[in-house]
Parts: sequence; structure tokens; C-alpha cells
Amino acid sequence: MSGGMAAARLAEERKAWRKDHPFGYVAKPEVEADGSTNIVKWHCKLPGKAGTLWEGGMFPLTLEFSHDYPTKPPRVKFPAGFYHPNVFPQGDVCLSILNPQKGWRPSITVKQILVGVQGLLDEPNIEDPANECYRDFKRNRPQYDKTVKLQTKRYAAD
Amino acid sequence: MGRDKTLSSGTAPPDTLHTAGSSQDVLAWPWAATGEELKQRVQDVKVLAVGAGGIGCELLKTLVMSGFKHIEVVDLDTIETSNLNRQFLFRKRHVGKSKALVAAEAVKQMRPDIDITAYQGNVNESRFDVDFFRRFDCVLNGLDNLEARRHINRLCLAAEVPLVESGTAGYLGQVSVHIKGRTECFECQPKPTSKTFPVCTLRNTPDKPIHCVVWAKEMLFPLLFGAPEASDLHEAPPAGSGIDAAAVTRNIADDPSCYQRAEGESSTHFAERMFRHLYCTKINELRNMEDLWRSRRPPQALDLDALRMPAYGDGGDQPAAIEAGVPATASSACKELGLSDAHSVWNDQQNAAVFLRAVALFLDGRSHELGSAQFDKDDLLAVELVTAAANLRATCFGISRQSLFETKGMAGNIIHAIATTNAIVSGLIVVEAMKLLARSFASCQTSFLQVSGSKRLVSRMSAPEPSAACMVCSTAQARLVLNANKMSLQQLVDKVLKGRLALIAPSLWCGTFSYEEGEGLEEDEITRNRKLLLLPLAQLPGGGVVHNSILHVDDQEQCFKAQLIITHREDWDDEQHPEGFYLGGDLPPALTEPSVEAAISETASPNEDVVSLTSDDDGVAAEAAARPVAKRKAIEGNTDSSKRPRT
Repeated sequence: MSGGMAAARLAEERKAWRKDHPFGYVAKPEVEADGSTNIVKWHCKLPGKAGTLWEGGMFPLTLEFSHDYPTKPPRVKFPAGFYHPNVFPQGDVCLSILNPQKGWRPSITVKQILVGVQGLLDEPNIEDPANECYRDFKRNRPQYDKTVKLQTKRYAAD
Repeated sequence: MGRDKTLSSGTAPPDTLHTAGSSQDVLAWPWAATGEELKQRVQDVKVLAVGAGGIGCELLKTLVMSGFKHIEVVDLDTIETSNLNRQFLFRKRHVGKSKALVAAEAVKQMRPDIDITAYQGNVNESRFDVDFFRRFDCVLNGLDNLEARRHINRLCLAAEVPLVESGTAGYLGQVSVHIKGRTECFECQPKPTSKTFPVCTLRNTPDKPIHCVVWAKEMLFPLLFGAPEASDLHEAPPAGSGIDAAAVTRNIADDPSCYQRAEGESSTHFAERMFRHLYCTKINELRNMEDLWRSRRPPQALDLDALRMPAYGDGGDQPAAIEAGVPATASSACKELGLSDAHSVWNDQQNAAVFLRAVALFLDGRSHELGSAQFDKDDLLAVELVTAAANLRATCFGISRQSLFETKGMAGNIIHAIATTNAIVSGLIVVEAMKLLARSFASCQTSFLQVSGSKRLVSRMSAPEPSAACMVCSTAQARLVLNANKMSLQQLVDKVLKGRLALIAPSLWCGTFSYEEGEGLEEDEITRNRKLLLLPLAQLPGGGVVHNSILHVDDQEQCFKAQLIITHREDWDDEQHPEGFYLGGDLPPALTEPSVEAAISETASPNEDVVSLTSDDDGVAAEAAARPVAKRKAIEGNTDSSKRPRT
């Protein structure tokens, strides 16, 4: 039997998202080839904030929810190799509200997660770098800006 | 211990107590336990024991010795040697056999007159469906994992069978009672989950031994010997990820093949290269991210040459086998190195030696496992490697090191089981089961077995009421009878959801099938949903909506939520049931049609089910009453129309 807390909460999240979500964002459960829906894996797209290096990009993000959701946060991933100081090489986003020992609370919604990650794009947390690209951010800003812009282009909205 | 003691100890209660304040269904506990009625009931009822392991063995014994005669038991596992110290129904000759079958045989020998059925199987299997659970007077859990507990909780709610739930961890134990609508369900309160650690802490800033152990077990081990893609240390971007090369080379500092053995590279050389990479190169890389270390102690790289074996051999017993060139056939690096005490904490040299040797042994002796090896707490070489690798990392980060025994416990999430705890808990389970059978619901309790100083004690509290916010048990349930091979999704939506339940924009989900209507859908989603409408329920994606499926129903436009438990009837006759379905359950009585109710009894469905399902539920009635007037009218209107004969 399927269902339970995680699935029930995700159904609520889905309902809330359909009712109201930030402009330009996409978030929906994965649909398999046979037409079935995987409610515990959501494919999302984040628009880059206007007026930033990220403007014009639609950045793909996946949320993977466990059976322990919402007690535990989902795993939030960009594509592997995503260029950002707080994104690990495999794509995992390092953000305090996604850390069960720090800021995660079961009441945090999918919308709040996505808005939080969008905010992180242009405001990396330098206290908690996840990879080497933070050095560019600190010491070689032109290089950092250039790489981000290239990446934004690659993920440009249609 | 014997059933006489359990059932008739204590003095007989005065008659006044028997009747005073007790209506038919509530008999004051513990007096009820001494009555003849309960004694008879214990012998007549049928109980299901889920799990025949640590708690299960004790429970089955206590059940039969307390007079229970009709028992069924389910367990998937087979008996292992490590079970024998506490799962006392099993003997060495049973190793490898089904726990459920052997346990059933063993208690049958204690009481040959009992009727016990054993199933070797997973409770998730479809044969253990709602109808299976309905056959029992109560369900007694002796499980070891959360997923199965949640599953049983939901089945018991759907089948309306009371559940006694239990768990033990070392000296701690707990027993709780779950009766739909009366006490909280297993999922009303969030459960403490096994601790997980954020990737950032594990990769960059560990500060506890467990962080190093998890790193070694879940990141390093799969990277070296298992499926590297599964490791969070794996740094290769997926093929075809087309981010520009500059970014890739800067972000991904490593050559992805760095963790693979080079052509012709000796296992010893590979082990040393890994050591230098993990404990020198990578540590220095981290150290160079100076922002990480503003308020933390920066990690120190290890120098392999300073940790070479010559420093370690002072004890004089460095075996010759360590010399390069000796074929690695041994299964333990510690054995070769003479580190036989699992409780001692190795120094850095010893850790380095174990790391190098264990990596080499794995490559040489177990090459067939490479690429698919998985960490197993009973795999000595794997535990040795994880212990050494975690300790070396701990040294880098200034964290205390652990013995092999401690590391094994942490890596395997081992809490050593205590037979007495299991015995006490199973006794408490049977006490609560008897309260249920005595219909003494008000006296049902949640019990905690605790350790306080040197004392162990049982503390108890009344079973809490259901949580109104619980997403599992606060949802109204109804039974929907139909022919799942004939009825299409379109018909379900139109006739049942919109026609009968007056939904406006229904959302449905059932396992991995979902269907949505209303605002906020994209074109492709609308198209996908439309396609689904044509399918018969049984052919919907994700296994179909079939017999015993639980269909979750919501409405995008209204406040409505319900679970429909599907009963499939192949012989459902369209002429007799022109609507094509029967809906019965805890929905407002106005919705139930007597004529259809009569019809359902004809189709061999046990009528009591329907009666008990419709019995009462103030919550749903209140919810319906609170709906907007217009919606109420819609419901009534539809009810009226559905009463009109169709031609």
C-alpha cells in the first residue's frame, strides 16, 4: 500500500503549488514513460533573478523526497557539474534550510525551498563553500562572472 | 508461566465493580481479565503476529501460554546464527530456515491444541491485503523497521482492526495501542528517524566520529569498490553534460578516473595513491578554502611516508606477509597486522597500515566484487577498511578515533538487542491485546520501558487520542464497490466523484497513478490526464486501481478529502446496479441508499463490514455540514437524481 505521511504531504504541496506559485517557476512530480507519476521526485525550473548574472536562465533542479519527509528535508540537486560555490560536484545544494541539523523544519514548503535556492544563486554563502569555484568568486570575479554568464546562456529560457 | 496465572491471578472482583459504571463495551480493567467471558474470548479470537524475530519469538510464546488459540504469523526472514542468543524458539539446526515456520512449529509443540498458520513473506505483498487483515480481531506487531510499521498501520486503519505496536532498542522498549477513531494511529506523531548528515558536513566539515564513519562507509567505500556513481564523492559529470569546459575543469578538480586503478598498477601502489589523494591532496584542497575555517579548525594533511610501517613495527610482530609481493589471500588486514583486539583504538601508523593493506586485499582477493561491492557490517575486511579510513580522516580533522568494534556499531547502526527487553515488551503487548478483547478501550495504555540510573522501569500513559491533523488517520474512508475491469476512469470521475460526491475538480492518486483536473495545470499535463480517462480502472498506470487499492481523493476547488477503498467485483451486474458502483462508508447517511445496501449483501460481501463502516463518524458529518450551502445542495441534488430510476 502506498501513501502515508510523505505522499499525503506531497499531495498537499502539489495542490498548494497549483493554486499559487511564484511567477516563472516550474515544479512538478516526475512522470514516467508509462504515464505513472512519481510523487517523491519533483522536476523544477528556477528562473534566474532579474538584474543578476543569472537573469534569463531557467535552471533545472530536482527535489527527491524520502519516506521520512517532511521530518527530513528533500535532497535538492542541480545537474552534476553545476557552477555555483554552494553546489557540490554531484549537484547537491548546500543550503541551511535544507540541513536537518540546521534550518530545516517540517513546515517549510516546496515554494520556500525553491525561492530559497533562487536567492542562493546570486548570493552564495561563502562561509560554506562546496567546491573550488568559490575561489573565482572571491579572487577572480571576472572569471566567475564570465562562467556564470556562460552557464546562464546554456540554461536560457526558450 | 501459564495461562492460569495470567488470566485468573488476583482476587475475584466484587460484583458491584463488574457492573458499576461499565456499559456494555467498557469493562473496567483489570477486573475484566478475571472474567470467564474474556477467558473464552481469548480462546476464540484470531490474532495476527507480524514478525517472528526478537519480539516475535517472545510474543508467540506469551500468546500461546496465555491461552490464545488461533494465531497467524508473518515473517520474511530466515534464521541466522546471530539470532540464536535471544530468539529462543530457534536452534542451530534451524539456521537458514523461515523464522515464521520454525517459530510456529516451536510454539505448537508447547501447546499442541493451538491452531497456528505461518507465512514466510513480506507484509507488503498483495496477498496480505485489507481483506486479509479484516479476518483478525487484533494485529500484534513485532517489527524491526519503520516502513513495515507504517504499512501495517495503514492496513489496520483501512481494515478497522485494532493494532498493538511495539519496538525495542537495547534496554528501551515501547508498546502502544492503535484503534481507529479512538486512539492515535502509529503515524499521528512524527517518528524520530535515523540520523542523516548533510553532504556539506560529511564532505567538508566533519566534527564528530560518526561523520567520518559515514563518509568512509557511504562515500569512500562505494567509490573504491562499489558503484562509483552512487557515491557523493564521485566527481565525474554525467556524459553529455554540456557545461563549458572551463567551468568543468575548474569545478571538478579531479580527473574522474583518479579513483580507478590504472592499467598495470599494483594493488599496493593503488592503495598508496588513494591514501595520498584522500588524506593529503583532498585535505589540502579543503584547507585552501580558507572561508570554511574562519571559525573552525582547519584540517591537517597526513604524510604517508611519516606513517610508514617501520614506525609501527616497534612491537616486533610485523608479519612478513605485508612485504610486497606476497599473494593476498587473507580476508583480514588486521589478522595479518596482528591487530586482533577489536576494542583497542589504533594509532595513526596502524590505521595507515590497515588502510593500505585492506585496500590491497580487496583488490587482489575480491576482484570479482569490484564495481558492485556494498558495505556490509558483517564483512570483516570492509569494516576494517572503514574503521581505518574513518580514523585517518578523524585525525586530519582533529576528531577522536574509534575502535573497530565501535566503528562497526556506528556503520551498521547496531543497537545490541536485549532478550529481557523483548520479553517484557511482548508481555505488555499481550496485556494490551487482552484489554482490547475485553473491550476495555478506555484502559488501553502506551507503555515505555526505560532505564533510569541503574533501574529499569515501565511507565505508562493512557493511549492518546487521534491527532486531527494526522494525514494518515484523520481522512474519511469509504468503501467503493465496482468492476475495475469495466469502469473507466471517466465513469469514476463523472458518476462517483462529481455525481455522487459533488466534487468540482477532483485530484486522485493511488500509488504511482495520479489524475488531476482544474486550474494550474500545463498543456502536457492536461493531455496526459485526458488520455487516462479512457482507461478502465484496472489498466491505469502504476498497477491500476484494483481490488484493495486505496484511492486518495481531493478537490482542487473545495475542501474535501477522502480515501476510497476499492472492492472489485468481477460479477458486478450493470442491470442490477445501474449506477455501476456502490459507495458505502463513513459518509453522511443521506448519501447511502438502502436499496443498494441490500444489493451489496447479495454479492457475497459480508454485510457486517458495511454496517460497521457506516456506524458513526462525527468528524465526517461535521465536515459535510461545514461545506458551503451551495455544495450541500449539489450533494443532495445528486443523491435525489441518483435515486430516480434510470431507463
